[in-house]
Amino acid sequence: MRKCKHEDLIDGYLLNKLSEEKKQEFEAHYFNCRVCFEKMAERDEMLTAIKYKGHTIFQDLETETEVERAPVLGQIWAFFTPKQWALAVATTAVLVVVALGVIPNLTTTSPQFFINDDLVRGSSIRLISPVIAVDTIPSQFRWESLGEDVEYKIELYNHELLWSATTSNHYITLPQEVKERMVTGEKYSWQVKAFSAEGTLIAVSSKVQFPVTK
Amino acid sequence: MSINISADIIGAVKEKSPQFDLEEIIAKYRPIVSFRVKKSLGSHTPDWEDVVNEIMVNVLEKLHKREFRGDSSIGTFIFTITSRRIIDFIRQKSKVLKYAPEPNPYLSPYEHIENKERAESTAKAIEKLKPKYKKILYLYYYKDLSREEVAQKLGISTRRVSERVNYAQKLLRKMMKK
Repeated sequence: MRKCKHEDLIDGYLLNKLSEEKKQEFEAHYFNCRVCFEKMAERDEMLTAIKYKGHTIFQDLETETEVERAPVLGQIWAFFTPKQWALAVATTAVLVVVALGVIPNLTTTSPQFFINDDLVRGSSIRLISPVIAVDTIPSQFRWESLGEDVEYKIELYNHELLWSATTSNHYITLPQEVKERMVTGEKYSWQVKAFSAEGTLIAVSSKVQFPVTK
Repeated sequence: MSINISADIIGAVKEKSPQFDLEEIIAKYRPIVSFRVKKSLGSHTPDWEDVVNEIMVNVLEKLHKREFRGDSSIGTFIFTITSRRIIDFIRQKSKVLKYAPEPNPYLSPYEHIENKERAESTAKAIEKLKPKYKKILYLYYYKDLSREEVAQKLGISTRRVSERVNYAQKLLRKMMKK
């Protein structure tokens, strides 16, 4: 059967997908074109059978589509057999119990606190003295120990950094020459930072202010 | 009304217009007119056969009255008569054309035993097609997807979709001839 340029309109016509103009054009055409009419009649026969018997012809494909549309949960359920599901549930339960027993012990006590608006993650150092107003220039600065192998860095501020020193003790004596630079009636502040043996910052204290009253 | 056109009318036209092979015209155009009428009115319309018959009689009468002057082809002449009669029929049935019921575009295969049998055997032949051809027919004709949508779903070109539809049709033709 030879090919006609209007053949492409057959499906559109039979499926009612042509514009009114194209539809009329094609209708006028097939009254004059035996090739197109015969092909259309043949296709219509197939289409009619499909439209009326499609539910039985394509039963397998319809089932396939339904499976595609099945909820994800259904597909997951179908992934395992009931026996496998039972095993999976039991394994999960054991893992949850183990996790609940172990995880709390793994949790490190690393408090978070703010210093000068910066969030610090790690241990804090509690400063012992001086933390309140003093009437004499303090000779010694003391803080809570974090254990062995810890290097502390102390910083003393007036309006700017006045003095800084490091020590492995949890206290330090203020050098005389620094003490002489400090005057009564002024406000000072201090802060301690702790470093590990490898030099990593592990803890920071708050910056505490102590006025030296007259 | 009988589907067959009265032999008297054919005889009268033949006498006046011997240049027309009326049997051939009727044999050739009745199926085309029937198709057009059923497509336009819907196969559920019980009067469609009467309408076809009226059109064919009208064609013969116009040939008898020498109203066909050969300005257009005989096909176009019959197409025009068919279109006018369809419009008239719809106007008669529904006073306002735009409220005319939408005709069923698919002809019921159960009107005649012969049609039913053909539909059954076509369905069986489709069932025997290879999955790739069956799937094309399923998506394109049964699910009413566009060629583009079918192409996208199957990961092939639209041209390939058309080729497969045509090839499926060819295979069915062969199977139906057996």
